[in-house]
Amino acid sequence: MAQSILILATKAPYGTEDFFAGARFALAMLASGSISRSTVLMVGDGTLNAVAAQNPGAIAMPSNVEAINDLADFEGEVYVLEDDLKARVGDVPIIDGVKRISWEKARELIADHELVTTF
Amino acid sequence: MKGTLLIHLRSGSMMNMDSNLTVKLARAALDKGYNVRIFGYGEGITPIKEGQDPKRFPNVGKELTEIAEKGATIVVCETCCVARGIHRGEEVKGSKVGSLTNDLSKFVSEADRILTLAR
Repeated sequence: MAQSILILATKAPYGTEDFFAGARFALAMLASGSISRSTVLMVGDGTLNAVAAQNPGAIAMPSNVEAINDLADFEGEVYVLEDDLKARVGDVPIIDGVKRISWEKARELIADHELVTTF
Repeated sequence: MKGTLLIHLRSGSMMNMDSNLTVKLARAALDKGYNVRIFGYGEGITPIKEGQDPKRFPNVGKELTEIAEKGATIVVCETCCVARGIHRGEEVKGSKVGSLTNDLSKFVSEADRILTLAR
């Protein structure tokens, strides 16, 4: 019986629907009341989903920012791997509520969840 | 039952072998006495569409019905189905159109392992 799940977000925003789908997956776990901890960790190209300046209105796609905010409303935790983000876009502002973490902390976070799935 | 395996399928019925691998893994787990749940999300909903007729490839719809008869529980995301023009009543026997909040969250909470098949 699992009470925690980690969603590893590995895909860049808007070229695919993966991050949006993963965030909705995480949200549904919390909204159902069946899972007490549902966490998103952005790694690799997935770290680009944390960039505050994203503007999906330009391509008429669902907003990943709103998906992250919805998750925060249900007390879902959202993390971004700082090294991977910096390697791609440098030190840029990120969405409020998203926490920057190191690989060391990410390993602890993964180990601290019973189930892990990847988007 | 030895335990519960949740297979999270996000690939479609054709163009790659993820759905075929899902069936093979499910069949093997069932044969060993494990409880098996399959949840189709995104493109992963298409394998439950009734009326598939591949000429040269395995008919994954029929195979899903077979493993359902052996005890596998097969549910797909309704929002994903509706987005792709597939509706309740069009699913193969033994599968169900359900939801993230009602079905997947329950599967996650009851799973010992989750296996994700996606591209």
